[in-house]
Amino acid sequence: MFNLSLNQLIENCKINDTKAQSELYKLFSSKLFSICLKYSRNYAEAEDNLQDAFLTIYKKIDQFKNKGSFEGWLKRVTINTVLQQYRNQKVFDIVNENIIDDTEIDIDEDTISIDYLLQIIQELPDRYRLIFNLYVLDGYSHKDIATMLDINIGTSKSNLARARQILKKTIVNYRQNINLQSL
Amino acid sequence: MRDKKHIDRLFQEHFKDFEVAPPETVWNKIEDKLNQDKKKRRVIPVWWRYAGVAALFLLLLTIGGVFFNNNTTEPLPIKMVGNEELQTRSTNASNDNKIAIEQDPSETNNIEAINTQSSNKISSNSENIVAESTLSKTSTTTNKNESLLNGASNKKTKAQNILINSNKNQTVASNSEVKNDVSVSDKSKNLNEAVKNNTSQVSAEKAKTLINNASKDNNGIAEVKKDKSKENLLTIEEALDKTKDEIADDKTSNKWRIAPNAAPVYFNTLGEGSSIDPQFNTNSKTGELNMSYGVNASYAVNDKLKVRSGINKVNLGYNTNNVIVYQSVGVSSSTRSLKNITSSASSNSSDNISIISGENLNSGSFDPSNTSINQSFGYIEVPLEIEYTLINKKLGINVIGGFSSFFLSDNKIYSETESGSKTYLGQANNINNVSYSANFGFGFNYQVSKKIDLNVEPMFKYQINTFNNTSGDFNPYFIGVYTGFAIKF
Repeated sequence: MFNLSLNQLIENCKINDTKAQSELYKLFSSKLFSICLKYSRNYAEAEDNLQDAFLTIYKKIDQFKNKGSFEGWLKRVTINTVLQQYRNQKVFDIVNENIIDDTEIDIDEDTISIDYLLQIIQELPDRYRLIFNLYVLDGYSHKDIATMLDINIGTSKSNLARARQILKKTIVNYRQNINLQSL
Repeated sequence: MRDKKHIDRLFQEHFKDFEVAPPETVWNKIEDKLNQDKKKRRVIPVWWRYAGVAALFLLLLTIGGVFFNNNTTEPLPIKMVGNEELQTRSTNASNDNKIAIEQDPSETNNIEAINTQSSNKISSNSENIVAESTLSKTSTTTNKNESLLNGASNKKTKAQNILINSNKNQTVASNSEVKNDVSVSDKSKNLNEAVKNNTSQVSAEKAKTLINNASKDNNGIAEVKKDKSKENLLTIEEALDKTKDEIADDKTSNKWRIAPNAAPVYFNTLGEGSSIDPQFNTNSKTGELNMSYGVNASYAVNDKLKVRSGINKVNLGYNTNNVIVYQSVGVSSSTRSLKNITSSASSNSSDNISIISGENLNSGSFDPSNTSINQSFGYIEVPLEIEYTLINKKLGINVIGGFSSFFLSDNKIYSETESGSKTYLGQANNINNVSYSANFGFGFNYQVSKKIDLNVEPMFKYQINTFNNTSGDFNPYFIGVYTGFAIKF
């Protein structure tokens, strides 16, 4: 029952087989939920986005033609679903800020947990968060990002730089606080 | 810049195998949504493709059937009957129309009148007359009934009842046949056989109850079928709504097309003959160029196959050449009137006009005349066609086949002189109100944009059952080049 090949599973999902849909969810929900967490403002929003993403996946699975990796396709659909949320909310109209030159700061990796990193990503302004995720964590080019978010390549680059800066600053402050506390 | 990489790498390394199991509530919500969707979806994708086609078919036949029931008061001539189905249908029209009441409440008054009439006849007259009158109305099926009567000659009254019942039974069967219901007609055939067997062996009383029950059954079935077809229509509406929703999400699949079109149509006849009068059989005929316009909608069942229907107004006409028209003074017009023309009573002038074929006169004694008879008629055409895609590129090529139902809307005959002056002669009395055609053609479409195609479709339509009383070998057809554009969605 549960040793169906992935291809068979996909085919069954295409005919709206409930068991296959449930199986697909079990296989991929953790991976896709992590994406939702990174791209969303908070946990609750990530839950909603995951739900929407799976509904879109079941609806459009017949468009998956076995070209390329299925997991890659799932991730793309999920990311697009989340981006769609922000497109609808028109949160991209934020003022373009001047880029400040990067300052070099050492980062003590050991003191930083993934939960904390996730938290500071989520706390980034929407567009910075999306661009940082797309570029740094999911390997999209600035050109792709520009198309996906309907912005200039330059804007994408400057927003990324700004995102990095904020993250760095936050981490440095965080470390200083810890150091202060430990003193 | 080294530092930048550092922060990127910090995140990349941490998030490399980042996976978090979502809470169970998420799946529960998804499941709920899926179930909601499925309730709607389960009915639609399977149903609407096939039921859509079936319902269209039903609709066409129903319309056709209604027209038949309204207008045909005598059996149709054998020529156009051709097969048993049509024969039964024409029988049905003149017989007891019990079921028609249930099927079409608007006709109730008419049919009830017929009902009482025919039942009075049957009850008051002697058995032989009943047999005769039904014999004149029904054809092959009556023979069975007659023998049935002979077999049960000692139980006359009861046999009579059986006859009535079996007639009703037939009505049930043929009526539902109009609705394209094969199962019912099969059943009634079996019943007819049962009637035979029963009357010869078992007592007529038993047979009577059997048939009564059976006809009740048939009523029930006919009603059930009706309900079902209603359901189909409903689900199709739902399906249409659903497609609208789906279109919003899924722009790539353009399953539906709406195509307004117009076409020059050329009408002519194969073979020698005349629809007007036998004397014109050998006269030359010239087809007339007319227009057809309308709109059709098609649904793509799959990549290759489209089913389409629509509605078109079509005008047709042709000229019978070399006729002589003269004013007859003092000659009774009835002797000169043409076989298939009912002249307009209001027009006095046409009563005095006589027409003969120029072919009948010696060409030497009379100058060849260029006067012609112009017959024109218009139809509302409802096609049901299948389109098969041969090439599906920017320039696509399709093969189209199907049939059309025609409902007469216009019917005139003129005489037309060389100088072009027209005289209204009257109406043709031999054009059927409902006729059909077999259609074949090719479709060429050029993709202008994702939403719009340009179409050119040369079609050949061979008309069936257009005239009911032609002389000679008169086989009308028409050719049209349907041009238009299709909007895809």
